[in-house]
Amino acid sequence: MSSEPYKHILIIGMAGGLANITAKILLMKFPGIKITGVDQRSPRGNTTQMEGIEFKKIRYTRGSFERLFRDNQFDAVYHLGRLTHGKDHLLSSMEDRLDLNLIETKRILDLSLKFNVKKVIILSTYHVYGALHDNPAFLQEDNPLRASIKYPELRDVVEMDQIATNWLWKNQRKIETVVLRPATIIGPQIKNTMTRYLLTPYMSVCADFNPMYQFIHEFDMASILTRTLHDLSSGIYNVAPDECISLKEAKKVLNIPTTPIPSFLLKFSNRLAQAMAWSLPRYFIDYLKYSCIIDNELLKSQLGPDLFRYKTKEALTISKLD
Amino acid sequence: MVFKKLIKELGLNISEEQISEIMGHLQQRYPDGEDPWGLNLKQAESTLKVVWPLYKHYFKTRIFGQENVADEPYIIISNHSGQIAIDGMLISTAFASEIKPPRILRSMVDRFFTALPWIATAAAGGGAVLGDRQNGHNLLTRGQSILAFPEGVTGVAKSTKDYYELQKFTHGFLRMALSTRTKILPLAVVGCEEIFPWVYQAKGLSKFLGTPALPISPLYLPLPSPVDIHIGQPIELPEGLSADAPDREIEVYVQQVKKEIQYLIEQGLQKRRPFFANQKGNI
Repeated sequence: MSSEPYKHILIIGMAGGLANITAKILLMKFPGIKITGVDQRSPRGNTTQMEGIEFKKIRYTRGSFERLFRDNQFDAVYHLGRLTHGKDHLLSSMEDRLDLNLIETKRILDLSLKFNVKKVIILSTYHVYGALHDNPAFLQEDNPLRASIKYPELRDVVEMDQIATNWLWKNQRKIETVVLRPATIIGPQIKNTMTRYLLTPYMSVCADFNPMYQFIHEFDMASILTRTLHDLSSGIYNVAPDECISLKEAKKVLNIPTTPIPSFLLKFSNRLAQAMAWSLPRYFIDYLKYSCIIDNELLKSQLGPDLFRYKTKEALTISKLD
Repeated sequence: MVFKKLIKELGLNISEEQISEIMGHLQQRYPDGEDPWGLNLKQAESTLKVVWPLYKHYFKTRIFGQENVADEPYIIISNHSGQIAIDGMLISTAFASEIKPPRILRSMVDRFFTALPWIATAAAGGGAVLGDRQNGHNLLTRGQSILAFPEGVTGVAKSTKDYYELQKFTHGFLRMALSTRTKILPLAVVGCEEIFPWVYQAKGLSKFLGTPALPISPLYLPLPSPVDIHIGQPIELPEGLSADAPDREIEVYVQQVKKEIQYLIEQGLQKRRPFFANQKGNI
């Protein structure tokens, strides 16, 4: 254990499902390490009561967050705390998200450098590439990030990624930084827009489009996050399986009934849904029309070819279990 | 449905044996039934069932030079004709139904096409992909054959006076071939120009309206012109030429491919079957 370079790990966004699984795997893989988990939300599940994990409810932009870095010598930081469009978040307006995601990310990176953290791992998303009709398949890490061309509400996602990548190159001699851009993560513990969309019966699907998707099971994503600690050098990596599935086929696998409507009506039906209950973010409609398939060659060149334990159809079926 | 029923009643449909043989091969090739570019085997099967009667009985398509096609990936380069790109559909049908082993050609389509509701999804389901070099490279390195028309829209949208005259070729296909070391298979389609025999392309107006083409014709119904597909011998790639070579070096080999296709067209024109639209000597 003494040779383990990462003895104390900070996980930001600890109330999330993915952070919970990652913490468990880290503890199993590296017994004796200490994990501090922070979140602005209250803890979920019993992971935070596990031995070796300390949970703190904290605002990332407050002075107490800096104190956390000052009082602890973190060896590695996982930034899994990006605010999304989910209904769980109190701060759901675009301005708040933009503000918080950008300020929060910059602050985490600055504090990590200031307090001699050895490695920072940032969870971005494949959404940064945007779902556009003229996307080629297998977008590589150096493809332009076009997500916010049409939708300003995706600015925070793109800018957060850019802050992290600029930081990566600027400080590559001082601190190791890994930016991961995963495809859609699904699983019983994941409550993102896509899992809600997939599992809600009678949600609209485009009758006139059928985009292809890459789905990652939550366990596989958490395993890759864990391996990132030792096996991935500084850089930007897409995370996706080789397998793809069309959206309509995915709904069939899940056996969830859908409401097919032409895409031009989707905006209106979504507005109606907004008035009644939960609705899809405006930008998400393009992800229901056009594919955004990412290339995984760079990641495989570092971690090996067999990264995913769950096949797409298995991952979809399991994600239904709650 | 009515069309399918009528075709079956008249006995013009593709035989069950043939379709199951084709789909058996394709199922082995695409075990998931889908691929990252949106290919959907079920969709491809139903498209083939609809298109085949048109291919065989309406356009009476013949294919020459099958022996030049081996079981390996190619960049298939063809002349473009027929105003509505029927040639792409017929070439794809030929390679799925008459070339052994059957294969789904990945036709490279223009950007505007991939945004069209229903049409884009149906085309992708049948194998079409966005005409993008990154896409082409990824397909070729995964053992797929692509079909490209280096004349682009200018090839398909010609006025009658320009029929069977090759337009300017773009260079992307040769760069893709060089970067993946994939052989080029030249191909000529003869008979598609006569499907719409009298056309004037209003280029100025089309530019003003922002449309890819604006054909003016007394006839907008595709005529049953007999179509011949001539497959040439694969063209070996020049040794030592880089995919990133300057345009002037690439152009030399692009011209060779163009000449080969022009030769195939001329041979094909001599063999074409009589059809009233090609009897007056103007096409």
